[in-house]
Amino acid sequence: MIYIGYLIVFGCCLTAVLGLFTSWVDRKVTARVQYRVGPPVLQPVFDVIKLLGKETLIPDGASKLTFLAAPVVGLSSVILVSTILWMNVIHPQQTFLGDLIVVLYLLTVPSMSIIMGGFASGNPLASIGSSREMKLILSYELPFVLAILVPVIHSHYSIRLGDILNMQSGSGVIIGNFSGSIAFIVALLCVQAKLGLVPFDMPEAETEIIGGPFVEYSGAGLAIFRLMKNMLLFVMPFFLMILFMGGIRFDGIHIFNALLKYLGTVALITVIRNTNPRVRIDQALRFFWGPMTVLAIIAIILAYRGW
Amino acid sequence: MNFNLALFKVDHLSNFVGIFIVFFSLLIIFYSLGFMNQKKRLVQYYSYVILTLLASLGAVFSNHLILFTVFWGFLGLLLYLLIGFGERNRTSYTGKKAFIIIGGTDALMILGLALVWKLSGSFEMDKVSIALNSKLAIAAYLCLAAGALAKAGAMPFHTWVPDMAEDAPVPVTSLLPASLDKLLGIYFLARITLDMFQMSALMNTVLMFLGSFTIMAGVMMALVQHDLKKLLGYHAVSQVGYMILGIGTGNPVGIAGGLFHMLNNAIYKSCLFLSGGSVEKVAGTTDLNKLGGLVRAMPMTFLSFLIASLAISGVPPFNGFASKWMIYQGIIETAKSGGWLWIVWLVAAMFGSALTLASFMKLIHTVFLGQPSQEVKSQGDKIHEAGLPMLIPTVVLAGLCVVFGVFARELPLKIFIIPSLKQAVAFFGIWNASLSTVLIVIGILAGCLIYFLGLAAKSRRTDSFVGGEDLKDFPDMRLSGTEFYSTIEELGILKYIYRLAERKAFDIYEVGAKIVFGFNQWLRYLHHGVLPTYLAWCLLGMGILFYILLIR
Repeated sequence: MIYIGYLIVFGCCLTAVLGLFTSWVDRKVTARVQYRVGPPVLQPVFDVIKLLGKETLIPDGASKLTFLAAPVVGLSSVILVSTILWMNVIHPQQTFLGDLIVVLYLLTVPSMSIIMGGFASGNPLASIGSSREMKLILSYELPFVLAILVPVIHSHYSIRLGDILNMQSGSGVIIGNFSGSIAFIVALLCVQAKLGLVPFDMPEAETEIIGGPFVEYSGAGLAIFRLMKNMLLFVMPFFLMILFMGGIRFDGIHIFNALLKYLGTVALITVIRNTNPRVRIDQALRFFWGPMTVLAIIAIILAYRGW
Repeated sequence: MNFNLALFKVDHLSNFVGIFIVFFSLLIIFYSLGFMNQKKRLVQYYSYVILTLLASLGAVFSNHLILFTVFWGFLGLLLYLLIGFGERNRTSYTGKKAFIIIGGTDALMILGLALVWKLSGSFEMDKVSIALNSKLAIAAYLCLAAGALAKAGAMPFHTWVPDMAEDAPVPVTSLLPASLDKLLGIYFLARITLDMFQMSALMNTVLMFLGSFTIMAGVMMALVQHDLKKLLGYHAVSQVGYMILGIGTGNPVGIAGGLFHMLNNAIYKSCLFLSGGSVEKVAGTTDLNKLGGLVRAMPMTFLSFLIASLAISGVPPFNGFASKWMIYQGIIETAKSGGWLWIVWLVAAMFGSALTLASFMKLIHTVFLGQPSQEVKSQGDKIHEAGLPMLIPTVVLAGLCVVFGVFARELPLKIFIIPSLKQAVAFFGIWNASLSTVLIVIGILAGCLIYFLGLAAKSRRTDSFVGGEDLKDFPDMRLSGTEFYSTIEELGILKYIYRLAERKAFDIYEVGAKIVFGFNQWLRYLHHGVLPTYLAWCLLGMGILFYILLIR
């Protein structure tokens, strides 16, 4: 039962609030970069509520059930991931072995739900967007897995997030190592692609394929996808913080530290997204399978040497 | 000579494999009632299927290696006969190819048996225990493993599987390479690896290399296929890699994971082949370019296919994830004994599963979702859900994918897998699938609540929005999905590898045939039918004989 409590309090509510807030930070920073004023704090919440009030359009030729179920499946997996991550931060000892792999696999489910939703809508533009999303998953998955092995090596081959956290609270954060910082850069760029942000937003590409998989979504379905993406915007940096920066600790000055780390990561993501143009899918593929993979392998070799 | 031979033996491992052999055979016989009706030679077909069932059971329960080989060879023959029921032009060629690959490796196995006899003086599986410290022992192991790997369809003996998947009737593919041959091949690999030989670190590494290579090569080939059945055939190859990888880790978690994956793979792979067969039966083709938008006509088949593809891609909480998770754990266990190769195995396995997901997303789009093709549209109302004899087995198998995933620890692991291992498996705290499922269900409820809050009931059907155009005016405006991954096909060095693969440069059968026929070409010059030449050869030979026999 305690898990269900965690799920509702931390996984659902807190993550949703923080996710919506992060989305506001992202939009505000973007606005300031572009010399605009930017939206008020509650704007992301208003957006979701507004969408809930709109009617749901189902395109002709769509598979209705798959079309409507896809956002829900994506959202539930994000909730589950955030619950696992929160439990790790609150009780690093009580988690189960191999949760790192579970988190990694669950994190592909949101992307998969976007793909399925796009396919189910029966729209050619959505099909193009979804196929790009799939190729994007393929491209970042390889360096992402390699980068995540660096903390695993540093914590003596443990694939339990709790052990990785304990190791960091004992002997310093992983990003402090030479190998850790390289791996962090690789992982951050992969997260950028996982979140579908510029320069890796070709699956959506509003100016080209009108939002890709989301082109047919409206009303509640779109609201859930929005919420899911906003929650991911919190969950992904949070995951990176656990792996590379020692997570969050709830005593005294550490809370302030955690906030700084978190906002720093988010700011980095936002700045990357605001200073780069969109690349083509084959360029992204080359980028991730080429330089990023090499960089990740270098990080692993350095980690083996203990740097 | 000891005549007190134990010909048959029943233990937990053979029991567990035997139960599932019967289960799959019965399901597929039931499916055949729907699929094979109005075909010819049905009496022969069903008798071959039943003989296959009996021969598999005989192989699994036999303890004497000679008896085992007899059943095993008989299975190869039945495979050849069953492929013959296919209706394509290439069927006889494919049957021959499968028979030669299987038969050739069977010959290797018999050689391995002779070596086992020489090393241990016994043919009884439970009495043989050979340490892999001499060259002869290694040769014996490799010979026996070759037989097991060819049956399971692992690299480099894999090429008969995709070919036969394309040409043989679906129930046959689903019976032999997808379920029974996997169970038997991995069963025998487990037998020799766990019982008959004491593995060395080197041999484990060889196994793990074979496994990783099979995963990656199989799935990369699957990614670019244009035929539904052939694509599934390449996955039948790629998944063997996980089982070999699991058994190759040599630690209990990994081995249990490998055996569990063998079971799971048989379940979801049969389900995929059987749903693919339903599609073929209904739409009349498996060419991906001619399919599309079948979901509205065949919702149940789509649902089973979706569940099985999520399971094969290792999406939690389905069964594929449970076993893959154990295999990963086994791989990371090997890291603790030093070395860095585990990174290669782990990345191959994890990245391979992302590639699997990709190729199944392509299939789901091209076959079920997406826009219907001209061919499908022209058939109109003729396309409908498959009949009950075909639907029930697919739905049962899809249901098993969910049950074995959610209750992984309570049902399959506890009843079948853990007792089959000699050592106790230490789970330090396990992926608790049931709990996670409860949590996922709560998450889904939360999502539904949002729908409820919104005005989902107030839904309206509209036309697709394609930038203001009307889709009905442009029937060609559709994405078939076969070209989804052409970006990858054209990428750097992969382009050359794919071209070589297209020319069958990696096909052990084709390469072997080329070598054999090359020799023939050369020998043929000696047989041109001119009598004086033959006489000259005879004289020459006689001269040599006389020289050896008399003069020396």
